[in-house]
This record gives sequence, structure tokens and C-alpha cells, in this order.
Amino acid sequence: MRRLRAIGVLVSAGLLAAACSSGSGSGSGSNSSAKSVVTISNENGALWTCGFNPFLGADQLLSVGFVYEPLVYVNPLQNGKTTPMLATAWTWGAGNKSITFTIRKGVKFGDGTPMSAADVVFSFGLIKKYAALDLTGVWSVLSSVSQTGSDQVTMTFTAPAVPYFYYIADQTPIVPAHVWSKIANPVAYADSHPVGTGPYVVNPCTTANITYTANPHYWQPGEPHITKVEYPAFTSNNTANDQLATGQAQWGSQYIPAIKEFYTSKNPAYHYWFPPTVNVSLVPNLTNPLLANVKVRQAMSYAIDRAKVSTIGESGYEPPANQAGIVTPTFSDWLDSSQASQYNYAYNPAKAKQILASAGFTMGSDGIMANSKGQKLAFSVIDIGDYSDWVASMQVVAQNLKAVGIQLTPDNLANTDFTAALYAGKYELAYYDQQSFGPGPYYELRNWLDSANTAPIGKTAASNYERYINPATDNLIHSYAATTSVSVQHSVVNQLQQVMLTQLPIIPVVEAVDWYQYDTSGLTGWPTPGNPYAQPSAYAFPDMEQVLLHLKAK
Amino acid sequence: MSMPISGISTLGPPGLEPTTGPAAGQPVPPATHALARMARAVRSNRKATAGTVLLVVFVLVSLFPGVIAHDSPSADAYAPRLGPSTAHLLGTTAYGQDMFAQLVWGTRNVLIIAFVAGLATTGIAVLVGVAAAYLGGLWDGSLSLLTDVLLVIPLFPLLIVIAGYAHGGSTPVLILVITLTGWSYTARQLRSQALSLRGRDFLEAARVRGERRLYIIVVEVIPTMISLIVASFLTNALYAVLFASSLQYIGLGDPNSESWGTMLYWAQNNAALQTGQPLWALAPGACIAALGAAFALLNYAFDEIGNPALRPVRRARVKRAR
Amino acid sequence: MRFALRRLGFFVLTLWAALTINFMLPRLMPGNPALAMLSKFHGELTPQTLKALDVLFGVNTHKSLPAQYVSYLHQVATGNFGISLDFYPKSVSSVIGSAIWWTVGLVGVSTVLAFTLGTGLGIVAAWRRGGRLDSILPPTFVITSAIPYFWVGMVFVLVFGISLHWLPYVGGYYVSTDAPSLSPTFFGDVLAHAVLPGLALVVTTIGTWILTMRNTMITTLAEDYVRMARAKGLPGRRIMVDYAARNAILPNLTGFAMSLGFVVSGAILIEYVFNYPGVGYMLLQAVQGEDYPLMQALFLLLTLAVLLAILLADIATALLDPRTRTAG
Repeated sequence: MRRLRAIGVLVSAGLLAAACSSGSGSGSGSNSSAKSVVTISNENGALWTCGFNPFLGADQLLSVGFVYEPLVYVNPLQNGKTTPMLATAWTWGAGNKSITFTIRKGVKFGDGTPMSAADVVFSFGLIKKYAALDLTGVWSVLSSVSQTGSDQVTMTFTAPAVPYFYYIADQTPIVPAHVWSKIANPVAYADSHPVGTGPYVVNPCTTANITYTANPHYWQPGEPHITKVEYPAFTSNNTANDQLATGQAQWGSQYIPAIKEFYTSKNPAYHYWFPPTVNVSLVPNLTNPLLANVKVRQAMSYAIDRAKVSTIGESGYEPPANQAGIVTPTFSDWLDSSQASQYNYAYNPAKAKQILASAGFTMGSDGIMANSKGQKLAFSVIDIGDYSDWVASMQVVAQNLKAVGIQLTPDNLANTDFTAALYAGKYELAYYDQQSFGPGPYYELRNWLDSANTAPIGKTAASNYERYINPATDNLIHSYAATTSVSVQHSVVNQLQQVMLTQLPIIPVVEAVDWYQYDTSGLTGWPTPGNPYAQPSAYAFPDMEQVLLHLKAK
Repeated sequence: MSMPISGISTLGPPGLEPTTGPAAGQPVPPATHALARMARAVRSNRKATAGTVLLVVFVLVSLFPGVIAHDSPSADAYAPRLGPSTAHLLGTTAYGQDMFAQLVWGTRNVLIIAFVAGLATTGIAVLVGVAAAYLGGLWDGSLSLLTDVLLVIPLFPLLIVIAGYAHGGSTPVLILVITLTGWSYTARQLRSQALSLRGRDFLEAARVRGERRLYIIVVEVIPTMISLIVASFLTNALYAVLFASSLQYIGLGDPNSESWGTMLYWAQNNAALQTGQPLWALAPGACIAALGAAFALLNYAFDEIGNPALRPVRRARVKRAR
Repeated sequence: MRFALRRLGFFVLTLWAALTINFMLPRLMPGNPALAMLSKFHGELTPQTLKALDVLFGVNTHKSLPAQYVSYLHQVATGNFGISLDFYPKSVSSVIGSAIWWTVGLVGVSTVLAFTLGTGLGIVAAWRRGGRLDSILPPTFVITSAIPYFWVGMVFVLVFGISLHWLPYVGGYYVSTDAPSLSPTFFGDVLAHAVLPGLALVVTTIGTWILTMRNTMITTLAEDYVRMARAKGLPGRRIMVDYAARNAILPNLTGFAMSLGFVVSGAILIEYVFNYPGVGYMLLQAVQGEDYPLMQALFLLLTLAVLLAILLADIATALLDPRTRTAG
């Protein structure tokens, strides 16, 4: 029949086209070795807007590290090991109330103009003038930034804030004064042709793909070895994962379900590594009368089978957390093992029931524990419905708690509804992790425990959502901030661990990780567990610059 | 989710009204006879029998799931990602749940949606269709307009938009939303048939007898339309199942509920097809197809019962003269 | 002529109904969902964007509901659907523009293919009543009509994509290695990516056409004028096509228009399974990303598309059936 033949023609045309295009499409990384190109697979959920303003949250991960550089690179995975970038040296002043950076000489911007200390002063002045650009809040602790010599910049603090070194030196990009001083409104400035000191320039950007080519004026000789970086825009996780599995992208930052079957089994050169960063925790609302009882929280901590949440909810990618709140193995050096073994919160449902009994709770006929006043241990837990792994994790936790008589009902909310409820304290329990990561457990613990980060119910809490207020803990946190002595820092963190273990302000369940896949068939120099020289995800800034500087063709 | 296959239903030129139901010009038997006729027809028609058997199987499974599947569907009790075996007929999901148990226990949710939404939608359709036909005039005009407008507006995007604003919905919300939007197609069919019945002698007789309009509608008209009403129910049930499952599949249902659509959602989220777990995605889809086929077969059979011209032709063996 | 005017009036009415639904829905939902959406972009939206969103969702307005309605209709009439929040700061119209051709291509070609093939097979099946084709087709396609669209897509992905590696099954083209251009490699890439989703659409929709065509054909064949044509001794094929099919196709055509709603839903699901970058997939992403301006505009677009198709089918029917021209 004529019509059947028509279909046949179409199908064979399609197959023919597939055969033709597969030559360019389904290569397994061979392109990269020939031309020193690396293609990134990081699903961003939207097409590119081709804005590269390094001070805007949405664009930072595309420009800071590629085009713009910070003063110092601080590696969170190696306890804050520093690598001088635009600053060659730095010294703390008396009482740690000031710091002086020596700025590197001979650095040029992408347009050939030399970079100097004046640009550093300008960059910090810019984010002081336009508070919307100060994303890490450095001006909450800085009092002045000025040039104190031909290549020296001195910054003074309102109060000692040593941990802020990370935000000041590593997280603040240095921009050219001669370009930005002419911009009328830097907050709305798209910066589509960014000019920076970094190893790459944008050439070109379309909504579907960003191509970075090597900056000919880059200050490190012989770098970058990778002459071209392709950064396609993916709107779906599936498409991004598929590009990795077929070898068209070599550097992935994706969540891939069943990664062995999906990815690593396809090619022996495919690898993955998920370094843990922060805790994903069950966050109790401490103003809730039942949850305010520490024994209830203790029982919960004993009742949760963290290993199972990790295996079932997170496919084994996110390791179980510990109640001390120290992320291991990233910050294992900070873990106080004696305390950890003393307050061992290993999975123990029998002990959980014992603790509840000692707190005056008895099992009701409906399987839920209740106290003498008839108040039941039945709570709702809010989580983000879009994160299917968190939804699955909550299902496991609910089953764990049910076994000891605590009823947990998950309430899967949309992202915006969730954050609104969380910030305002309108919830009983929540499942969440801190959104920022630093070169030590202090940064996360401070976010959770400092009373300055909380707010009354109904107002927005910055990061202390559980409404934990303890002046003694605040003093600990401030004492850490005032010192550069490693032994003092360790002592403070030990005491903070004790807070976590005895007061249980939050209940860490699993550890969130950096998503990272890499293809070694054409490229070498990747960060690995044995060589964790930077945070390996393509979305970690400015760490991706270090990765790109280490990579070279085989 | 192809267009329903029941006779000739149109939105256009006159003269092509649906011909399901009693054939034009023949005397119309009262209700009880119609039901008995239907039962006999079901038994004799192969498609109807097959459809009924399938439906009965599903109903039984939904009523007694524990008898068939001994495992809990939601407990993450087993090793994840196991293949089919005697212990786990379909294997386990990536979360360590028994897939067969999920399939069996999920039947209940699907059938509830099918029957409740199907009945409610049919109820509205009968109300609107028959009322439009009998009230006539402005009522008919406005109701028909409403029906036609709703008929043309693409339903699935509308469902997606509503569910999107509501950030997904539990089963009752899904049923409500599907019912409120899905009645137009069958309402139109019912109106057409009601219109064609208006001039019939037995109705004239009732009117002359002095019966009230409501009595005529409920006692005389609706029973005559029984076969079309049943066919409408089957159509609406089918679409309730398909739409609800699709909404659950794309994540607009309740991911914690036990249903075939939510199984598909989790399978999709775990890239089941690409990671060697095809059954996780294919089995619930096959069940939806089977239930849908049951409804469709019954629907098709009712078409044939109503319109003898469509009945299968038996090939006559021509005996050769020797 | 009156008929045409009435139809046109009906379309305008339906469009207005869709607009009104779009207007009312966010305002009817408990806790205006737009408010939550906007808080996500706190401080980052320009005043023009805020104003446009205000008109669409009635967020910060102090105007009465009727006044809001009027400004909403006015804004839509000027083609301003606001700024997409997912693809900020691109306008909704430009975002849709990038996706619409993918859907038009995929769905357009598949539907036409399914319609012509299905109608043809239906005609033949009805003509040869009692033949082999007629006995296997109806039950087969009754069952396939109940299969969810996405299931067929999944089977194709599994068999032709994953197991046999014959064709790609993710996306519209290889994003990492190809860029939209006029080159033959790009077209080949697009074609290769379109085969599986297109075939899935054809397979799922063809059953309807075959069966409806067969049913209407059977009824038509029982008509007197066909019997007359046979008695006159006209050749079989001529009767089949010129007498029977031409009349039987009319309800099929209008049925085609009506079933467009289902074609649309099928397209959305198939695009989802194959991550095909069309407007259906974009609608689902807009929902997940709470991009309400985009969601609204896509809903209007889909309604408009269905209306246009019905209009075309009506014109075709009018051309083929003189009764419609003289009636009403």
C-alpha cells in the first residue's frame, strides 16, 4: 500500500540519518583528547540567559572560576588548605582585627589591562555600596578595605571574624575597576561579555550552550591546558545523564540513579566520586512542647536507621551522618572520637523505646506513644516534594519511627511553600540541609546553632530554623571566630559536638554530597578521593577553576 | 488515550447523530427487559465476556489484596533492585519494596478513581445532557454551549494547570478535578440520544396521560437510554483511570500513595528503563492498559449490541456444488 | 455563510472561556499561588515584570476583580504574556517560540500519518467485511486504544533505544555536539531523534482512526445509494472511494477535530517520556518550576491550536459535504 511504503521510507530515512549523525554524536570522549576540549554535564533546569555577573546568585557558577578569580583558593576538602591566586601572601594584624594581602604582580585582565591592588579595593567597595551584591555578607564584619602600599590591601574588621577569611579571600571575585566603574546599576548589569583575570573568556554564549576559550593573557604560564570548555544547557536531568552515559560529556555534576548500571558499567573509563559536604537533618521545631523534650529527640536519633536511609533513600550515595554533626570523611580530623563513642547514637530501637518510657510515654492502642496527659507523639514533617530522594528518605524515617511508637506523616511541599514554612517556623519537623559549605565543620554548625541566625516564630530565620537559643553556645561560636590558633579551634568544635550530642538541636540523618562524574579516557588530572585538590563539581565555584587548571589531555 | 470508540459521535453537520441505543423506528421495550437483554448480550458477545472477566479479576484483586500479595507494598523491607524470583514475583524496586505487592495493593486506588470519578462524571453528563434535551430553548442553548466549549478545551493541559496550581493532589482532589472537567463528551452523546427519543410514541403517550415532565424524564426516558448511559460510564471510567495515572506519573499526584501511576512516577525518577529495571515501569503500565482494555472491550461490545450492523460477520462457508 | 459565522462565534467564545479560566484559576486557589512564586524572585524582578505579573495573577493589585479582568484581557490582546520565571528574563512568547516548532513538527507529521494510514486501513477493513483484516483489527485496536500513551513510548525506549541501540531516545538532538543550524548533520540528528517519539504517537493514535473509519464505513455501505451503485455495476474500488469513503470520512474528519484534545495529551506524555523539547514538555517543566506565566500561556496556546485545527476540519468538511453549505 502506498501509505505503508511512505512510512517505510520515513523510518529508513530516520535510521540512515541516525547512522550518519552517530558519527558526530556518540563518540566516547575521543573528541576531547584530540582538541583538549572538555564538555560539562550539569543540569541547570533552564536555558542560559548569557548573563555572567559574578555577584548574582544565578550567574556566579558560570563566571566565578572560569572568568573571574578570587584572592586565595581555599580547599574545603583539605581543611582549608590555601593556594594563592590573585594574592600572593597575607598576614593577620594584631588581635586578628585586620588582615593585609599582598597582591600578585603581572596579572592582566582578559582585555589586556593590568590588574592591581586598586581593582581589589574597588571590588570590595562595589559590594559595600550595593548591598544586594554582597551575597556572603562580608560587610557585616568588615569596617574598611583600603590600599596600603603599591601592591598591598588592608582590611579591618569590626570584631574578630577569622572564619570570614573564606568568604573574603575565596568567595569574592575581583572585577576590573575600569569596566565596572562605568556601570550605572551593577545589580541589574548582565555582564554578557565578562572581563576578568581568569583562565577563560566567553566565546560565544547562546541559550543552548556556553563555549569558554583560553584567555591569552592568563597569568599562569602554560595554563590552561584545556583550550575549550563546552557547557551546554540542559533542562532535564535525564538528558544531562544521557550525555554522560553516551560519552558526549566528560565532566558530570549530576544525580544519576543506579549509577553503576546507568553510567560506570558502560565504559571502564567512567568514574564517580561523591565527597560529603553538609548534613541533611531532621529539624525539630524546638518551640513545640513535645519536641522541646530532649528525650523525645534522643529517642528519634536512636530510632532512625541511618544506614537504611542512605541505602534506600539515597541509593547509597549519601553516607549516614552522625549525631555529633561532623561530616565524615571530609572533616574526620575534627571528630572527637571519645565523645562519639560515649554518646553512641547507633541504630537502637529498643533503647529508643526505653528512653521514651523513662520520659513518661506509654504505647497507646493505636501504636502511638502518648504521655500521661494524653499528648501523642504524632508529628508532621515537611520536605520538598520535588526532591524524590528526600521523599523516599522520609518514608524510611517514618517507618523507623513508627516501630518505636512515633507517628511521622510526611508533608511534601513545593519548594517555595517549604522554604516559607521553614523560615517562619511554621512546621513541626522539617528535613533540610544548610545551603552553604565552608572549609570546616564550624561553618555548618554555626549556621545551625548561633542564635543570631534565628528569629521568633512568624519571622524569617536566616539559617537557625529550629529556633535553638543558648548563650553559652553563642560564646563558643564567638571564641572560634576570634582566633587563628588551630588548637583553640579544635577545642571549640569539640565543645560544639558535645552540644550536638547532649542537646540534640537537630538530628543529622545523612550527609549531602557533591555530585561528580568523570571520564578518564581522554583527560587526566581529575580530582579523586586520593587527590582531593578541589571540590570536584562543575557548579562549585571557584573550585572548578582549579579542576580546569589541573586537567590536561592524555 | 485515543478517542473513544462508540458509534459515530460528532460535533458537526446534521444528519449524523449517534446511532447507539435502540435502532430508529423499532418499538422500545421497558427497562427491565433492557437489562435482561443486556445480560444475555454480554454472555453471548465474546468481547463483552472478555471485558467482564478482566474487570471482575481487577475488582476481586482490589477487594482482597492481602490474599494475593502477602508483602506490604510500602515497607522498604527487602534488598533493593532484585530481579523476579519466586520470593518476589516481579522483583523489588530501588527502595527495596516488593513490586508485585505494590501492583496488587495499588489496584484499589485505581479502581476507586475509576468507579467514583466514572459514576460522578456520568451523573453530571446525564443531568446536563438530558436536561438540555428536554428543557429545550434557552436552557438547551446554554447547556449545549457550555458542553461544546468544555469539549473543545484540551482537558489534559487544563488538568495539569489546575493540579499545578494546587501543587499536586491527593486521590480525592484528582477525582474532583477529573469529574468537574470530563463530563462534556458523554453529555453531548446523551443529549443527542435524548433528543432523538423526544418524539417517540411512548413518550407522547405518557405526556397525554398527564405525567409530569420530571416523571417522564426519570421513569420513561432514562431507562431507555440505559445502554448509552452504561457505555458513557465505561468511557468516563476509562478516561478517569488514564488521566489520573498520567497525572500521577508526571508527579502531580501524591507520591506517597499506593497506585499504579505513582509506581510509574518512582520508576521514572529512578531511570528504571535505563538501569535494568524495566518491569518497574512496564508492569504498572500494562495493568493500566489491561484495565483500560476491559472498559474498552465492554464499551465496544455495547456498541455492537446497540448497533447490529457492527456485529462481527461470520464467514459463510460456501458449499461447492458437486 | 451563517454556518461559518456561527462557528467563528463559537471559537471566539471558547477562546474567551479559556482566557477566563486562566484568569480565575490562580485567584480561586487557596492562598494565591502566585504570591509564593514571586517570593522566590524577591528583589530580582524589574518593575515591568512585576506589573505584567500583577495583571496576570492579581498579586499586588488593589483593583476590583472586574477591573483586573479588563486589564488582563487587554494585556493578553496585545500579546504580552509576561516574563517567564524559569527562563528569566526572557519573555514568555520568546520562550514558547523556541519550543513550538518541535511540537508542530512531531505532532503534525505523526497525526497526519496516523490519520491517513488509519483511515485507509479502516476503509479497506470495512470494505472486506468478514475478511482477515476485519476480524483482527477491531479487537486489536480496541485494546490499543486503552493503552496509555506513555507506555508505548516506554516500550519503544526499552526495545529500540536501550536494547537494540538503533535510535536515540532522549531529547530533540545531541545537545553537546550539535547546535541548531541549517546543516545536514543537524537535520539528520533531528530526524533520528524524532523517529521513536513520532512512531509512538502514530501507534497510539492510529487505532482510533481505523476503528471509527471502519464503523462509519460499515454504516455507510448499508446505505441505499451504495447498493444502487453496486447494482449499476460500478467497479468496486470506485464505489469504495467515491461513494462510500467520501461520505464516511466526514464524521471521521470532525471526529479528528474533536480528538485533538487527546492528541494534545498524548503529545505531552510522549514528549515527557522522550524528553522531547516541545511545548508539551515545556508545560510540565513550567509546572514543576512554578513558572505560572509560562504555564498559563501554554494552556492558551494549546486551546488555540485545537480551535484552529477544528476550524480547518470544518472548512474541509464544508468543502466535501454540500449539506453543510446549504443547511443552517
